[in-house]
Amino acid sequence: MRLYWTTLASQWRGGLALLGCSVLESVPAFLSGRLVERAVNHGFAAGSPGLGIAWLLVFAAVAVLGAFGSRLVWQRLGTLVEPLRDALVGAVVRGVLRGRAPQRRRSDASGVARITQHVEVIRDATAGMLVQGRGMVVTTVAALAGVFSIAGPLAWAVALPVLVSVLAFGCLLPTLASRQRTLTLADEHTAEAAGTVLAGMRDVVACGAEATAVASVHDRIEVQAAAATRMGTATAMRTLIVAIGAFVPLLLVLALAPGMVAAGTLTAGAALGTVVYLSATLQPALQGLAATASTVVLRLLVALRRLGEACPSPAKEGGVAEPRGCAVRLRGVTFGWGEHAEPIVRDLDLDLDPGEHLAVVGPSGIGKSTLAGLLTGMLEPQRGRVLIGGEPVGEIRTGLRHRLVAFTPQESYVFAGTVRENIALFAPSATDNQLLAAAETVGAGELVERLGGLYGEVGHAVHTGPTAGEAGERKVLSAGEAQLLSLVRLYACPAGVIVLDEATANLDPAAEARAEWAFAERGGVLVVIAHRLSSALRARRVLVMDGNDTLLGGHEELLATSSRYAEMMRAWGGRVSAGPVLPVTRAAAR
Amino acid sequence: MRNTVLTRVNTHDRFLLGIVRHDRFRVVLMIVAAVVATIAGLLLPGALADAVDAAIAGRPSLPPVLWLLTLGCAEIAADVVGGILTARVTASGTAWLRRRLSRHLAALGTSSRFADGDAVSRLTTDCTGAGGVASILVQLGSALVVSTGAVILLALLDWRLALVFLGSVPVALWLARSHLRLTADDVSAYQRVSGELSARLLDAVGGLRTIAAAGIADREADRVLRPLPRLSAAGAGMWRTQARMVWKAGLLLPAVELAVLAAAGFGVLAGRLSVGDMLAALGYVALGMSLVGQVPLLTSLSRARSCAGRLAEVLETPLPAEGTFRLPAGPGRIELRGAGTDGILHDVDLTVEGGSTVAIVGRSGSGKSALAGLLGGLRPADDGEVLLDGVPMRRVRAEELRAAVGYAFERPTLLGTTVADAVAYGSWAGLVAVERACRAAHVHDLVVRLPEGYRNPLDRTPLSGGEAQRVGLARALVRGPRLLVLDDATASLDTVTEARVESAIEQALPGRTRVVVTHRVSTACRADRVVWLDAGRIRATAPHDVLWADAAYRAVFTEDGGR
Repeated sequence: MRLYWTTLASQWRGGLALLGCSVLESVPAFLSGRLVERAVNHGFAAGSPGLGIAWLLVFAAVAVLGAFGSRLVWQRLGTLVEPLRDALVGAVVRGVLRGRAPQRRRSDASGVARITQHVEVIRDATAGMLVQGRGMVVTTVAALAGVFSIAGPLAWAVALPVLVSVLAFGCLLPTLASRQRTLTLADEHTAEAAGTVLAGMRDVVACGAEATAVASVHDRIEVQAAAATRMGTATAMRTLIVAIGAFVPLLLVLALAPGMVAAGTLTAGAALGTVVYLSATLQPALQGLAATASTVVLRLLVALRRLGEACPSPAKEGGVAEPRGCAVRLRGVTFGWGEHAEPIVRDLDLDLDPGEHLAVVGPSGIGKSTLAGLLTGMLEPQRGRVLIGGEPVGEIRTGLRHRLVAFTPQESYVFAGTVRENIALFAPSATDNQLLAAAETVGAGELVERLGGLYGEVGHAVHTGPTAGEAGERKVLSAGEAQLLSLVRLYACPAGVIVLDEATANLDPAAEARAEWAFAERGGVLVVIAHRLSSALRARRVLVMDGNDTLLGGHEELLATSSRYAEMMRAWGGRVSAGPVLPVTRAAAR
Repeated sequence: MRNTVLTRVNTHDRFLLGIVRHDRFRVVLMIVAAVVATIAGLLLPGALADAVDAAIAGRPSLPPVLWLLTLGCAEIAADVVGGILTARVTASGTAWLRRRLSRHLAALGTSSRFADGDAVSRLTTDCTGAGGVASILVQLGSALVVSTGAVILLALLDWRLALVFLGSVPVALWLARSHLRLTADDVSAYQRVSGELSARLLDAVGGLRTIAAAGIADREADRVLRPLPRLSAAGAGMWRTQARMVWKAGLLLPAVELAVLAAAGFGVLAGRLSVGDMLAALGYVALGMSLVGQVPLLTSLSRARSCAGRLAEVLETPLPAEGTFRLPAGPGRIELRGAGTDGILHDVDLTVEGGSTVAIVGRSGSGKSALAGLLGGLRPADDGEVLLDGVPMRRVRAEELRAAVGYAFERPTLLGTTVADAVAYGSWAGLVAVERACRAAHVHDLVVRLPEGYRNPLDRTPLSGGEAQRVGLARALVRGPRLLVLDDATASLDTVTEARVESAIEQALPGRTRVVVTHRVSTACRADRVVWLDAGRIRATAPHDVLWADAAYRAVFTEDGGR
């Protein structure tokens, strides 16, 4: 995640302030050895307890100063961490919304929840790194500086082992991070495998597959245990490296000091101070640093990486073409879900001029929605071209697309906000009267009124945790109501091509007929991917998708020529009396 | 009452001991490592004191430095070995618990009273919590020994120091206490805004196809992000509260250290202590205070105990008895004699002749699925007896019963790695049989259009309700059962496809007994007989045409708009 580091870097002012606080925080570590040495050598050991106590009191004052420094750090944290989180959330939201839209599945709500969790982990871990990690680094450096200041000749014996161990630890960090990541994934997979089997227990029992199911979970459990063991080994290596790095300097100082003291190159006081620095300040700080690095920093690295993976790759940017008119031309279009998969559409030619009304019918799951994807440019044909106003639909300027082609799928997009915000989504500049007229024409007038007019509030489509209570007065829409609002949105927009992908599935047949008639009389090109066969009777032409091939023609013509179409109509005809009869006569009149 | 609580607590502890005992060899090694580390750690400050005294006196310091080296190496080595052992013991303990639990849950099968989510959390969180018990105990033990040992050694050095230490700890704790708690307001404000943002994002994700088709991603992103400034403000407030709260904690150790140092200073003044001893005292203080940092272990221990309780609850649930009878060859004739399931079905007497098709109809909640579960032995009857070809189902060996009965559901859960796996799940069917079953279930055309056909990974095969139903149907057909139970298994298909699927099944598996739960008139009409359920009892059993005369029967089909 380059964004993480650039955002962090852009907060350099906050960083500088933090550095200032760090200086304050480092004072106790820098002075600890020296002050203790003073208290002992000049005070207690020299027979003047008053002086000894005085030096210790100075130490106490310095400790309070340091603690105050860390208080300042906490206060500054908000100015660093919150902008970072803002930037990440922004990037994630944009990434998700610009990403490839799922064509064949419902959108993955749990995936979105996971992404937001990653961002929160990154926020917490960054804060932990800035408070604890930075604090430990500051203490280590200050203690080293303290040693340099009182025992220059011994300093290299101290600094070199510490440096080597910090470097070695740095080299170990990638291994630690990758093992932590493997472990996190193994944990998730275990829960996932267990969840699948337990939630499907009825099916497992019905298939007599208990042994298979248990084996699938056991595999995951073993993988998880192995990952945990490997992580444990790596952590033990970390302990080893850091412990050696903290212990060797002490040993060297104690081995070298007697000779130097005897030779007079080092005072006894300096030797004492150095040992205090090492045993009381440096050793705990190094250990704390390693502990922070292998918990907080690992969490951070893993979350950053997973966030990078979880964010969908952005879809192809649209082109710059500006089409003329809204005539639709399909030329030799072939599309399938993979290279080896049988195509859903094969060599399809289709001409749709303004005023045309096409219904697409066929059994469920055969890929009718594919056509909507091709017409709106979300899917690219494997062969052939889809042209709108003379330009390939994929190359139309993105901002222009919704003014040309408007589309609504079965799962309507309705969001928390006012009714107006929802229905003016594709026509933000439409007047209230235009919107109300659109609602009336499509048959949603009563609904809009019930919601409190254009400025009534609509609730979230999906209710989650804390917001559920907040919804309060907001109305949660049923699937049918949501579809009606999407239809108004489409009707009110300026697009010349309208694609309804089972967009009336949750309406009753009468409401569906009313909405479809409204769109038919709106002008422009209308493509209805039909949920009920009654849609075919209202259309001028019908495209039958039946797995093996596609048929195109008028209703009567298809009844006469296609046995499959005739059979479909016969089977459905038994229930036609339930639906409105009126549209049939109007279709026949055309 | 008190007694039962005590015995419960005891069983939890016995359960935890069982986990420790499961890996006793490594646990013993872990204890040895901890003992070595503890002893070396406690002796280190003394050795340091000797070496320092030698150093500042300018005396040759080789013997004390060598001793220090020995102790240091021993401690580091014991820590490293102990760390590796801890990870292994915890991992293997957790895995052992998980294996036991998953086996038991699978053996409980459909009679398990644990909800899925609950069972998953027991298998993941609770097993981890309880699996670490050995390492928690060892760490807690060594922390106690280290701290007590440090105080004793401090007392041996100079009893006054121990007194000062013990006296100053409460004072220091009082000094470092924090009046403030992170107020619920701060946290809930942050969570509320954060939840609002997620909900907005979920709204938008639900409409991703609309957004992508219209090319309005950026505009919608801005709309989703509108509450962000409020989130930022709530977050900054949280950090400020924490700043007021946590800074004093950093003063705890220096306060105690300075008190003991001052006391030791007077010891040096009086000649009782050497300068090196002051350093040793400083070391003991650090060791003594380390217990404060280990307090969370107590929480972990009590958590481990409650986790163990939740695990024991599952493992102590008795398993249903296993059947031993073989299933004789037969036409698939089912007989229910006074059969019932608690609170759902009562006293059902019913015979389904081999090779016949029986439809089960009734209003929702009348017990249709429960009856379907009884008829194929998916759920054991609480009262009465269910016989398949003359043998009580509960006595039949599970694998034979499952091979004889095929179930398909309204919302099947598809399991396995690939589509072919999902169809063959639990049977040994090969690809040819799988393909034949898929053709009969009218899902073959769909599968071959997937990028990898039958080998397409299941998690990359998003299926609509009707598609999943047909794959589930293929799964029931592939084992060629003598009894086929379709529990509303074609509800999402259009009537044309449903009729075609039915005739395809008839061709693929002729003469099999079929039980069909349905809401549709057309399906009931095609069955040989209809079982009409009402409030958990059979209201009538007769052909559809006979029952149709009854207005109450006709009303059953209109309740949900005659899908």
